[in-house]
Order: sequence, then structure tokens, then C-alpha cells
Amino acid sequence: MTLPRYEEMWHRADDAWARAARPARTLIKVGVATCSRVVGAEETLSALRREVEARGLDADFMVTGCLGLCYAEPLVEVVRPNAPGVLYQSVTADKVASLLEAVAAGGIAREYALAVIGDRESGGLPALNSLEFVLGQVRRLMANCGVTDPENIDHYVARGGYEGLVRALQMKPVNVIDEVKKSGLWGRGGAAFSTGLKWEFLYNAKRQPKYLICNADEGDPGSFVNRNLMESDPQLLVEGMVIAGYATDAQQGYIYIRDEYPLPVERMELAVQQARERGLVGENILGSNFSFELEVVRGAGSYVCGDETGLLSSLEDRRGMPKIKPPFPAQAGVFAMPSNINNVESYTNVPLIMRHGADWWAEMGSEKHKGTKMFSLSGQVQRVGIVEVPLGTSTSDVVMRMGGGPPEGRKLKAVQPGGPLSGVVPASDVDIPLEPDPYRERGVLMGSGGLVILDDTNCIVDLCIYFEWFAEDESCGRCTTCFAGTRRMLEILRRISSGRGRLADLELIKLLGSIAQNANCFHGQGAPTAVMSMFRFFEDELLEHVERKRCPAKVCRGLVRYEVVHYSDRLPAAEAICPTNAVVRDNGTYRIDQLKCIKCDACREQAPYAIAVVDEFQPAATTLTR
Amino acid sequence: MFSQASHNSRLTPVEPAAGSTELLARISELIEDLSPDRVDLLKAFHRIQHEFGYVPREAVPLLAGKFRTTPAIIFGTIDFYSELRMAPAAETTVDWCSGPACLLKGSLNIRRALEATFECEMNRTSADGRFGLRLVQCDGTCHLAPLVRHHGRYIGPLTVSESIEWARRLTGDDRRAPPEDGARPAADEASPELAEPVEAE
Ligand SMILES: Cc1cc2nc3c(=O)[nH]c(=O)nc-3n(C[C@H](O)[C@H](O)[C@H](O)COP(=O)(O)O)c2cc1C
Ligand code: SF4
Ligand code: SF4
Ligand code: FES
Ligand code: FES
Repeated sequence: MTLPRYEEMWHRADDAWARAARPARTLIKVGVATCSRVVGAEETLSALRREVEARGLDADFMVTGCLGLCYAEPLVEVVRPNAPGVLYQSVTADKVASLLEAVAAGGIAREYALAVIGDRESGGLPALNSLEFVLGQVRRLMANCGVTDPENIDHYVARGGYEGLVRALQMKPVNVIDEVKKSGLWGRGGAAFSTGLKWEFLYNAKRQPKYLICNADEGDPGSFVNRNLMESDPQLLVEGMVIAGYATDAQQGYIYIRDEYPLPVERMELAVQQARERGLVGENILGSNFSFELEVVRGAGSYVCGDETGLLSSLEDRRGMPKIKPPFPAQAGVFAMPSNINNVESYTNVPLIMRHGADWWAEMGSEKHKGTKMFSLSGQVQRVGIVEVPLGTSTSDVVMRMGGGPPEGRKLKAVQPGGPLSGVVPASDVDIPLEPDPYRERGVLMGSGGLVILDDTNCIVDLCIYFEWFAEDESCGRCTTCFAGTRRMLEILRRISSGRGRLADLELIKLLGSIAQNANCFHGQGAPTAVMSMFRFFEDELLEHVERKRCPAKVCRGLVRYEVVHYSDRLPAAEAICPTNAVVRDNGTYRIDQLKCIKCDACREQAPYAIAVVDEFQPAATTLTR
Repeated sequence: MFSQASHNSRLTPVEPAAGSTELLARISELIEDLSPDRVDLLKAFHRIQHEFGYVPREAVPLLAGKFRTTPAIIFGTIDFYSELRMAPAAETTVDWCSGPACLLKGSLNIRRALEATFECEMNRTSADGRFGLRLVQCDGTCHLAPLVRHHGRYIGPLTVSESIEWARRLTGDDRRAPPEDGARPAADEASPELAEPVEAE
């Protein structure tokens, strides 16, 4: 197939990208994405513009997506002609003047410099790819993230974008599906089902119209990998869906994005519009006789709308309640027509498979699980951010090395691999490879890639209460086993954390856990997973709560109490901060009014020597003789 | 099994909507181009909430008419989604992140402190109607954990003390914990001579 009409598009794209990749004068790149915006990237950008103008500097600006280094945002890259870019970290607006001072003088602002882009150190700065956080990553999906302008389709096209689509359009749809099957790609949304097979189901469904849906609900708290792709390289998803549409003979696509993600909604809408203007979405795509429409849909705040059938209900103008399966979406999906639902990361792998071939794609990964996977790191890690690694990379490499492990002086306790329904693995298992099987062996799901890290200051019962609260709060209310089961579970766990736990509760929890298997969708079925991991890996800690009424991490509110244990001159500060006036001055000394105290910890922050958290039901560990 | 709530031709037309004609006209205008079974209902909610800050009760019958369904279905749908509200938010609404990273870093302490300072429970409005606390889900800005959001501004990582001082400033109470003595940053560890035993209960 020749595409004369599109030659021009490619030329134009190359020109646009050349200006960014090989700038003739200084180019200042600022990453603007959700994570950096909340720490002031936009203010940094305007300060830079103002300052550059005021100093009469010769420089251009470019907005990029994000590299995934949340911990170092806002990131600013300064590229000089014929030199590698220098990356500056935590550049808030107040630092702009001193940064530009150094840049204007032709040097590097060392105070803020993080690294130079690329593999080689330069000017005394380490290479970006040699930083602990980046070394070992294989950035395929993220190749453009933080590099190109997400609002400029030309950048995407110039860097190989839509080559995969061109190749697909020259093949028969079945062959495209075969290629995807051959790659071994499975769904990244949590269930890990073969993407190619799913497409084949839709292809074989004969009724029209067929729908293609992208699940960009990313409801798992602590996961933000889909968000990064959508706001940093939205065209990758557009291309992936268009290829999928061609392969499955669907004409309409919906990208369902959660309401909490305003920037991805904005950038995806713009991306679809730009693709439409270029003839990459809409009628007769790239001059072929294939037509495909794409629309962005904004959710309204519901976790179960991330379940594929809940998502269908939501699209059908109703409460987003998961449906009963069968029928499966490929038989009767949205509006009872054949549909296919995939996660953002599943679709975005497809352009790479089509561009470079299934064999290339499958070079990465482990024996059984091919490709790369993005993971977000949050919780008790020193470097919060997003990494992309081959499947099968060891968990500890990601958590302890890239993420830097827990803060100084604390010990890793557990890792929650992907979402509130996934469960936790203990620190002793942190060396297992990041792929589904080793997790499944431990009764845990790898999930969608939101790694949340716990350290020894965290309590496992407290975390389980959170998971059960979340499950109960988000239950759609269809199944008693789910909405009432999680509520019952929550009540029992809260009882344990309040110090009234009893041994019989443990059996009750296990019973509730097994009953949950009868719920309709995986929300209910998966709700007890974390609690079951607690039984499996942290039984001692649980028993400590139940039998000895002690919370080893001193977190459970009913099992601790705040006491003045020493005198210090910080006590007036504690008195002043207490929101309930529970720090009382009494004849020159202080005490805590236990009836007023809400256990918020503010006083101890102010006077850590004088005020201690003690076990409620144990003799005070510290004696009062100073 | 394939029940289509929005296609029930036996439904009688809904009652004419109550409310000021201006309001009704504006809502009708906002949903003018939308239609049932086109994935438009969410769009309708967003447009209305964007305009008014909430979905006014008066919109329910209009939406029911537009989407060929019953007010009960519309009402139930609004109720289902946590980002949609049917009453205006308090003048000063503080969003508290309920997510796991914030939790592990002490967000529950902050929640308790804020509830006490604003005299307002989570997802409620204070008695004088000035302050509201809203529970929100993690949006992946966990590098700021534990955080709160206020009029789109993200504030974190917060200590409990900082959150209390910040909340007090909002309430017009500028009480602050006395700053630590500059000469003795870790004032606590010092001054053994001051130490005197305290009576315990
Ligand atoms: C309660 C619940 C929430 C879910 N949330 C998401 C989500 O936010 N994003 C997602 O891609 N998949 C989510 N899933 C999984 C989807 O049901 C479905 O398996 C997935 O979108 C299929 O895409 P994939 O094959 O590409 O993984 C959720 C499942 C359940 C039960
Ligand atoms: S398991 Fe829970 S979320 Fe799923 S359908 Fe049943 S009640 Fe709804
Ligand atoms: S823990 Fe909070 S409520 Fe209790 S005394 Fe300390 S500051 Fe006051
Ligand atoms: S910095 Fe972009 S995802 Fe956090
Ligand atoms: S948990 Fe609060 S921002 Fe992620």
C-alpha cells in the first residue's frame, strides 16, 4: 500500500521533531504532567519564560510529559546545541532565577543538576540512565514520556509513530491478531488474559456495530501508570486502539478515563482530535477503506467501573454496576453489542509489536511472560515514581534499588503489588520476580502495577482495615456476600484494632473470606485477598493484637494511648498544637486528658521526648523516673 | 439479561419539572444535543456540575425526559458516583486523600486533627456551613503523601502539626506551636535539669 497523501505528513513531522531533537539554540524543556503540576511545574514554566525574556536570553521552550521521576519534580531540561541535555530536579519557581543565572553564564547550575540525558556522564554529572532509579529500566512504552511534547502529534509520528498502523493496514486483520497472539501479550489490567485471544473473540463475533473500549479507569489507589502514558504519550494509545479496531473489525472506540484524571482527559481528547485531522482516526484511515471513530468518556468516581462489565453499565447511562457473566463482552458488551475491553497498557503495547514485530517485542521479559511492564512505586520508598522493567525483574531490584527502599533507618515490611484486591507479600519474599506466577503461588495477584511499600512503622491490621473499608465503600451493592460481607469484615477488624478482638474472630474472618468467593464480580471475590495474606504472612502480628491487645507498630488507635512521660520545654508547644486541648497543664506539670485526646500525634511531633505513645493495655514501657 | 433501562417505551412521560424557568432553561440548553444510548449521560452530569458546582435537584426530571428513563434511575445514577453531588460544596472544602500511600504515612492522624479543628466530620459540612471535608481517592500524586487538596492546590507532605496550623489559619485562628528554639533545635533531648517526674495515672 502506498500512501502518497501522507508523505507530506511524515516530512512535516520530521521537521518538527528535528527542531526539538537538534535545536539550533538553547531549548528549555519542562515536564508538565499531573505529578509535576501539583508541585508547581506550570509556575516554573512561566517563571522561566519571564526570566528568559527579562535577561534577553536566546532560548526556546517546550512542554514535555513526564519521565516518571515523581520524587524529583518539577524537572527542567536544558538542551544546548550539539550537547546532551542537562536535567535539573525540584526546580520550583523560586529557583528559576539562580538556575538561569548559571545557564546564562554558559555553565551548569550544579545545585539543582540531577543528570545528563543519555548513557554517558558529562561535565561531572552522572548519566540519567546510570541513576539507581533508571538503571535496569527498559523504556519501550515510555520511550517518548518526558522526551516529546505530548500535545504535538508530529513528535510522535517522527519517532516511529503510526508505522505500526501502516504495517497493520497492509496485513489481513487475522494476521494482525496472529502477530499479537504470537507476541504473548496479555492484558495489563489485572486479569492477565491473552490480548490476542480476546481480539479473536471479537473478530469472530458477527453482529455489528462492534465496540472497542479502553479501560483507563485506573481505580487502584496507588497506581498511576496509565495516567502517565495518557498524559505523556497519548498518541500511543490512539494508535493502539486504531490497530485493534482494524484487527477486530470494530468501528467505534471509547476511552473511559476516571474523573480524577482531568489532565489525561484533556490530552487524550486533543490527541484524538489531532489524529482525526491527520486522517489517522475517522473515515478511510490513511486512505484505506477502514474507518474508526474514537471518543473520550469521563467517569464520575467509582472503583467498580474499572471492572469491565461495570464499565459497560456506566457507558450505558446507568449505575456502573458490574453485570453477571456470561454473556461475555465479546458476545454482548456495550448496548448488548460485541465489545472488547483492554487496559491502556495492553493497547499501547500493540503499536510496538506491529512496528518492530512480535519477535523483537518478546525479546524482553522472562521465559513465560514477555514484554515490559510499568510499575508505580509509592508508600514507604525514598523515590516515588514510575519504572518500566522487563517482566520477571526481581521485586527487590525495583523496590529496594530503584525505589531506594524505605526511609533511612527503617525496615521493609511488605509490598502490595497492585491494588487493594491484590494482597501483600512479606519482606522475606521481596526477591521474587515481578510476574504473575510467583505472586499467585503466594495467594497474591500481581494486579495492574501499583506497588505500595510498607515499612516497620506500618501496621498490617491497619492496612487490612483500609482495604476492607475501600471494598465496602466501593461495592456496588448487588451481592450480599460483597457489600455485607466486607462490612462485617470491616467491623471485626475494627473491633480487633480497638482492643476487643477475640480468638473466635479469626475463624469468622476466614469464613467471610471464603464466602466472598460467591460474589458476582472480582471486586467482592478479591476483597478478602489482603486479609488472607495477613493470615498467611503476619499471623503473629495479628495474634499480638487479638491475644495480647498490643499493636507492635503502635498504630491501632484503640491499642495505644498518648502520655506525658518526661518533662521538656517543648511541652507548651504540645499544649498549643493540640486540636482538642487535651494536653493539660496541671500544677506546673502536664498530663494528657484521655477523654479528650483523639490520638492525632500532633503533640508528640512537637515534644517527641516528653510525650510517648504507649500500649493502652500494657504496663507503660517507660518508667517515669527520668 | 440484556435489559436496557433506557429503552422502556411504556414509561409515561415524566411530570413537568419544577424550578425557576431560568434554571430549567439553562439546564435544557446544556443537555440540548445529548441523546440516550450514546454514552451521553455522564457528559450531561459533568456539564451541569461544571456549570452549577453540583447537580441541582431540578435537573433530575429534565435528564429523565432527555434520556427516556425515570427520575429514580437518574437519581440512583447520580447517587452511585462519588464525584457527583446534589448540593453545593461548602465555601471552604478541604479534600483529604484516603489512598494507601497517604495512609501509610499517617493520613488518619491528619484526618482526626482536621475533623477536630474544623469541627466537622468527613464528608460533612461544619455546623456554621463554612467548612467541608471531603474524602477523595488517590490520583497518583503520592510523592506528596500525606496530602490534602484545597481549591485545586495540593498541600503535602504534611505533618499533623502543619495540617493543624494550616487549618487554623483557614478558620482565622492563628495560634501556632511556638517555634523551636533556634539554638537548640532538638530542644527535647536537652535540659535534663528541667526534667522532673510527672505523675502518671
Ligand atoms: C473491581 C475491579 C476494578 C478493576 N479496575 C480496573 C482498572 O482500573 N483498570 C483496568 O484496566 N482494569 C481493571 N479491572 C480489570 C478489568 O475488569 C479487566 O480485566 C481489564 O480491563 C481487561 O483488560 P486487559 O485484558 O487489557 O487487562 C478491574 C477489575 C475489577 C474486578
Ligand atoms: S461482587 Fe460486589 S461489586 Fe461485584 S457485583 Fe457483587 S456487589 Fe457489586
Ligand atoms: S494526640 Fe492529638 S489529641 Fe491527643 S493529646 Fe496529642 S495533640 Fe492532643
Ligand atoms: S512525575 Fe509523572 S508520574 Fe509522577
Ligand atoms: S495515596 Fe494519597 S496521593 Fe496516593
